[in-house]
Amino acid sequence: MFLAYLLQGIPEAAPLNPIARWEWVFPVVESIHICGFALLVGTIVILDLRLLGLVLRGQAVSKIAKALAPWIWAAILIQLTTGPYLLSSDPGEYLQVPAFRNKMLFLLLALIFHFTVIRKATAPREESAPLGWRKPAAFVSLGLWLCVLLAGMWIGNL
Amino acid sequence: MSFQGFCEWLSHTSLSVSLREAPYDYPVLLIVHVLSIALFGGMVAMGNLRVLGVAMQGVPVSQVINQFRPWKWLGFAVLLVTGVLLTISDPMEYHDNIMFWISAALILLVGVNGLIFHYGIYRDVATWDESVSAPASARRWACVSLFLWIAIVFAGRAIAFF
Repeated sequence: MFLAYLLQGIPEAAPLNPIARWEWVFPVVESIHICGFALLVGTIVILDLRLLGLVLRGQAVSKIAKALAPWIWAAILIQLTTGPYLLSSDPGEYLQVPAFRNKMLFLLLALIFHFTVIRKATAPREESAPLGWRKPAAFVSLGLWLCVLLAGMWIGNL
Repeated sequence: MSFQGFCEWLSHTSLSVSLREAPYDYPVLLIVHVLSIALFGGMVAMGNLRVLGVAMQGVPVSQVINQFRPWKWLGFAVLLVTGVLLTISDPMEYHDNIMFWISAALILLVGVNGLIFHYGIYRDVATWDESVSAPASARRWACVSLFLWIAIVFAGRAIAFF
């Protein structure tokens, strides 16, 4: 991969990068990353559980989707800021770790699934239709985000 | 038996030894521990942000809180059980870790905060259920809860750093 080839040339983060200079920066940024993941996956879990009819049954699916959307976007913003910054601490090393590559793959799939299938499943015009394909879609969404988390946590174990 | 003696005894029990020495027990427990945050972290955040009047304004406060309650209890139970098992895996290590005690104290505080909210201002939720923003004292408890949960994540992560 071209990107991997480029980043392998960088043995470690530039010395001016705070994450390379002070050892406490990494756990602090990682803590923000964990809070962001709780907000991102937590709000998507609420949406999936609503699709499955397990929470907030009294409210329309599309209404819950609309109410959660800005928070999902805010969480994505936090994650796409803190994530690459954590990566910058040692990009060459991370790209070698299979768990990291798996996480990026699952993340890409989960995001695409969310903004195509789940967006369609929670759209107002689906409201009166029977649940049908939307139920398995909610399970697939939960499964994909679970894979992102498992792979993400496994990075730290290796 | 002193507390330190208790920790030493605990670290020699077969449960502690097997949790510590089995190759996958520790990472699996840690993953489930953090996973439980994903299950109910969003619900904690949304419940508090609803009380603050900045999220899900169209849904009554009591619906958000009551509907999420069983899931939050489930997540909290998993967080607590896996946390206790992680502690049992190496009591002597955590005994001397200041961040471990700060995390435990913060979890206790978040529980007390929840009880004060539930048996205090939340009892007359009917009078402010539909309004966008809750009374000032309810908003204060929501702020404290959000702050405590963020602090728990920071302190929990810091256990491994110290």
